[in-house]
Amino acid sequence: MMLQDGSTQLLCLTASSGVPLFTRGASKQLPFSVIGSLNGVHMFGGGQGVVLSCCETEDGGKVVWRVFHDSVMLIAVAAGGQGGAGRSSSSKEVEEEACLQRLLENVWSCMVLVLGQDELANVRNVERLKRDLRSCFGLIDQLLEDRHEGILGNLTHCADSLLPPNPALLQDAVQGFAQAADSEFGCLVVHGRIAAATEKWWRLAPQEVVLLSALMRSLSASGSSSCDYPVFLPHGSPTVAHRLLRFHLLPGADVCVLCGPTPSLHRAESGLVVRFWTPLVETLRDCLAVGERCLPEICHPPLPSKDPLLGAAKALLHLQYNALLHPGGDFVRLPRGEGSERQH
Amino acid sequence: MAARHYTAERTVSSGQTEEDGVEQDSNDSDRESASTFSSSDYSDDLEPEWLDDIQKNGELFYLELSEGEEEAALAQAAANQGVSTNHVRFSEKEAEIITEQNKKQRCGSRAKGEPTLKRLARILRRKRRPSQRRGGGKDGGKDNSALSSPPTSILKNQPGQRQGVTVQQQQLKEVCVYLNPKRLGGSSTPLSDSGGLLEVLLGVVHRPSWSRGQVDPAVVRQEERLTVHGLIPNSPAIKCGQILIGDVLVAVDDVDVTSENIERVLSCIPGPTQVKLTLETVALVDGSSASDTSSVRKTKASPPVSQLVRLLWGEDTAELQMSIGHIPHIVMYLSLKLDSASPQEEEEILYQYPVSEASSQLKGVRGIFLTLCDMLENVTGGRIISSSLLLGKHLVHVSYWKESNNLLVIGLPAERVPLLYLQTVVGDVVRTLKVMYGSLDSAFCKVDHAPRLDHFFCLFFQQLIQPSRLREGSFPPPTDVSGTLFLQGLPAVRWLTLPPEIKMEVDTVLSDFESSDFGEMSEDFFGLRRLYVILGSCLFYKSYLIANHLPKEDLLDVCLYCQHYCLLPLASEQRVGQLVIWREVFPQQRANGNSTAAPGYDQPQGRHFLLIVGLRHFMQCVLLEAGGCASPALGSPGPDCVYVDQVKATLLQLEALEAGIEERLNAPPAPCLSCADWFLPAATARDRLDSLASSSPVFSKLVKGSSAGSRGRSLFGEKARRSSPQRSLSDSGSEGQMDAGSGSGSSMAPGLSPHSTPDSARKLGGRRDSLGSGGSDGSGGSGGLFKIPRMKHPNPFYLGTLKKTLTERETEEMYNTMKLTSGAENTLFHYVLMETVQGIFIAPTHREVAQLSGSIHPQLIRNFHHCCLSIRAAFQQSLPARGRRAADRPQGGGWGLGPVKEHGVLFQCKPENWTDQRKPAPTMTYWVIGRMLLEPVPQEFYVCFHDSVAEVPVEMAFRLSFGLAL
Repeated sequence: MMLQDGSTQLLCLTASSGVPLFTRGASKQLPFSVIGSLNGVHMFGGGQGVVLSCCETEDGGKVVWRVFHDSVMLIAVAAGGQGGAGRSSSSKEVEEEACLQRLLENVWSCMVLVLGQDELANVRNVERLKRDLRSCFGLIDQLLEDRHEGILGNLTHCADSLLPPNPALLQDAVQGFAQAADSEFGCLVVHGRIAAATEKWWRLAPQEVVLLSALMRSLSASGSSSCDYPVFLPHGSPTVAHRLLRFHLLPGADVCVLCGPTPSLHRAESGLVVRFWTPLVETLRDCLAVGERCLPEICHPPLPSKDPLLGAAKALLHLQYNALLHPGGDFVRLPRGEGSERQH
Repeated sequence: MAARHYTAERTVSSGQTEEDGVEQDSNDSDRESASTFSSSDYSDDLEPEWLDDIQKNGELFYLELSEGEEEAALAQAAANQGVSTNHVRFSEKEAEIITEQNKKQRCGSRAKGEPTLKRLARILRRKRRPSQRRGGGKDGGKDNSALSSPPTSILKNQPGQRQGVTVQQQQLKEVCVYLNPKRLGGSSTPLSDSGGLLEVLLGVVHRPSWSRGQVDPAVVRQEERLTVHGLIPNSPAIKCGQILIGDVLVAVDDVDVTSENIERVLSCIPGPTQVKLTLETVALVDGSSASDTSSVRKTKASPPVSQLVRLLWGEDTAELQMSIGHIPHIVMYLSLKLDSASPQEEEEILYQYPVSEASSQLKGVRGIFLTLCDMLENVTGGRIISSSLLLGKHLVHVSYWKESNNLLVIGLPAERVPLLYLQTVVGDVVRTLKVMYGSLDSAFCKVDHAPRLDHFFCLFFQQLIQPSRLREGSFPPPTDVSGTLFLQGLPAVRWLTLPPEIKMEVDTVLSDFESSDFGEMSEDFFGLRRLYVILGSCLFYKSYLIANHLPKEDLLDVCLYCQHYCLLPLASEQRVGQLVIWREVFPQQRANGNSTAAPGYDQPQGRHFLLIVGLRHFMQCVLLEAGGCASPALGSPGPDCVYVDQVKATLLQLEALEAGIEERLNAPPAPCLSCADWFLPAATARDRLDSLASSSPVFSKLVKGSSAGSRGRSLFGEKARRSSPQRSLSDSGSEGQMDAGSGSGSSMAPGLSPHSTPDSARKLGGRRDSLGSGGSDGSGGSGGLFKIPRMKHPNPFYLGTLKKTLTERETEEMYNTMKLTSGAENTLFHYVLMETVQGIFIAPTHREVAQLSGSIHPQLIRNFHHCCLSIRAAFQQSLPARGRRAADRPQGGGWGLGPVKEHGVLFQCKPENWTDQRKPAPTMTYWVIGRMLLEPVPQEFYVCFHDSVAEVPVEMAFRLSFGLAL
């Protein structure tokens, strides 16, 4: 067995030639021959008019293939939950196919978010693409370890959010801050969760909201006080980049706006951040306290390793996925996420 | 010697096609084994009808519908004549159309004449034989292959029509047959120089006039007309049932053919395809072929029996298969060990079925299957079990089953078999095959098994892909695919609880039979060693198991066989005149020898035989053992008349009890059931929630009724407002029929066993409490069940108290009415309880379900089954991987998940075709809950009940299993 129990490895190759672009996840990389055969069977099927999408093994191991825009092939390989004889109850539960499918979708969107669709759909220089793709690794790794501090949004496509103690105040601040920065999209992130966001922010595609939150998390983990990051919105504008201006307010609290060419980072940081957020420092601190309490590790210490929320979310996703597959049995239809699911 | 003479006589009559007994001598030796029973000289001096159908290897599949059934079918046929219900897709052009009158006359005469004529026809046929032999010339030589044909019953349908009208005119008819040149290799017939492709590919025997040694003045030409002199069993020609001896083949795909060019024309057929044959039915000289023609025409006009029966008879398989040809499905048996020295095309395919365009695409990518099977084990650890492929628009799930060096691959369309259940379906097929053939290798690797396997898999795919078509002609088809999948996938048989006195009588009769004390019929009487030991038997009545004296694993084996051959629905829907099945089987438990062997006890190394005898609605399956303490079986013995007759006698004896069983079936459902439609409030949109209680009589009763009811109401009120109905309000604009607020939680519940102490209950309850308050309240589901009792008791999760109060409150009357749910109103819609140890399950009978027919109730039951599929899959996943197929393995494995698993989903449904635009459809909310217990006895329990009343499924499970006496 080449993969560790319960680990997931992500392979990315060019769809046409099968050149490996990158491999993430799992400590030990799969041998090249295996990667080659995994890609090979899919290509062989494609030539015969058969698209291979998923494979399952006895102990819950799974392999999922997906080709995006005829140019990039993503393969997720999840090892079985229990290896060998001893099966400990603490081992990770097996990955559902739907989860892996969603993972691939998210990874692709991530790549689009960072590099733009044009560059990915028409690969001219593979070596350059490989180099460029490195900038996505942080984000992709975050997606792969799917229970980053109890974040579920990757799975549900409903952004993780928290209910701040003073919502109206923060809402107004975010609104005003975004307006001052000539933008309609603004968002306050506390402990990786959305505490307040402008109306338009919620109108973004659910996946974009989730991925932008993930991006914010990885940017704030870098520790810089502010940054100006170009992003392509995978659904809204996959080919035209916007600027994501992010400002570090307090440890664990970040605010961002999505804007056009103006204002410059410097102007926004020096002028706007101080104006809008200095008066709210205490509110933000309260909010951080709430956010800390939200973390499941703190909230439910006695629970077994299985996160009940995650389990429930997976079950939901599974049902939803099944409902999609079996349109006939439409009894099992679930309410659609309305873009904002406020938890806790 | 009379018996000997008699055997010879029978041999002559057994040639199903009109051939002679040139090889009669060799046949006799072939059939020595069969002749043993006629020499046993049983009291009934008439030969049993099924003797002719015994095959060379001793197997027998004889099915005869009762007279009533055939008459009904004929009446229907007569009624349908004008409408020309053409159930058969093949067209048939005729030069002359027989008048309506003729047909009616024929039908009438047939219906009346049938019963008595059967034997007469047989005798007549025997007498007519010599003349036919003369006319037919030496075209036979295929007599023994007639024996190896699958259990078709061509003769059986036809004898009545021998009296039919004779059609005097020449006719042209077109027949479509399905030819597969690739199968040539597998055909058991050697490529004879005289027959050529015509014989091998098409199955038509034509003897040129010179070889017949007779000079026909009409055909002195070099180019001879292709008269059909014989048909090869199992060939496309005989399978289509419309090519008759004496016909003349005029054209193939509109190309005129003669003896000169036929070989060339046929050799041009590149691959498997459907070919149109034009045949001329010659002016008829004798009555036999005329009656054959008419019988065929009758078949065409309206099938006298359902497709299922015809499929079982081995007719029509090609046609049925063709009708699902566009749906990708395949079964392949591939060899993993390739001889690279001599790479041949498709060498690794040991068996394949079917041959159609969609399946050839799957065949083309078999490299994927082989590679993945080889590779994935190393990568993820664990053998591959399934793949999902997209063929155009079809999603196909492919299942793998590796055995030694071979790989069985079965591909099925995803819309028929959900991935969750693929493993079970395929596992069952594999087990059936193993029961029938011992191992997969012995099933697939013998060439002469190919036609039988074709039939086997034809049945398999037909049942999965177009089950409704098989049931055509019987009552409205309940095409509940997931229901069928769920119930058949359970490692259990449907059980019908009987009143104790009837049950006892049934058991007594069965035990009497199993004691093998046949009086002067027994071998003991003659001082012989016993032929077979009866290991046990089980009895079905109308597809319900009513008595079982077999060990569980054997029962499952037998039941799998019955399920595969659709014997259970057959017995319930159609009165079976007579069903006799005999074959060697390899019961898995005994074959593997892994039964817990007590020291000093060795399982006898015997051979096992399965005897199934059906009579009207009864069907008894008997497992016999040869060897061990009975005399060892030599060769492949056929069914022994004595045993068959004894089973029949048992069944006849049991028929006295039929009235009692029927009464039980007609009785109101023992645990009361409600129809979902009763719970639909006819309310307007605005005040729907408020009027929920007042408008519906059921609800008002519920509210005003007993204290338990009001408790339920208040609980429901709170929960309903918060969770599901509100959501449905916001959602009611959408076109969906049903919207489910779903929560599923698998949580540990206090042990359901009576031994569970209050302490453990309290502890577990406390755990759940923390979970519940933890925050997942939103989805209405996960905690719902357990939140219900919160109102009344300070510690709502202390089930001990709850149980007590329940019993206090609703003491006597509850038990008297056999009501499963608590509360004043019965809210139970459906249930399934499986006793894993005995391998049985109980569920409401078909009749009970039919009585509750509402508009949404069938929908609800479909959904229930669909949901149970998922729930059961979740249960299975929680078991150790190796034990998935056997949830019944010895306890104490310690998977550390507690004794109980529970899984529930809340659904909300609306009437299906709600036309009123102004008002949103009324909704009804219900639960589907599954629960798996491992202690004290493994059980699985699935219920579906209305959301309104607080339920303690624990109680329900107990009450159900209480009433279940074995």
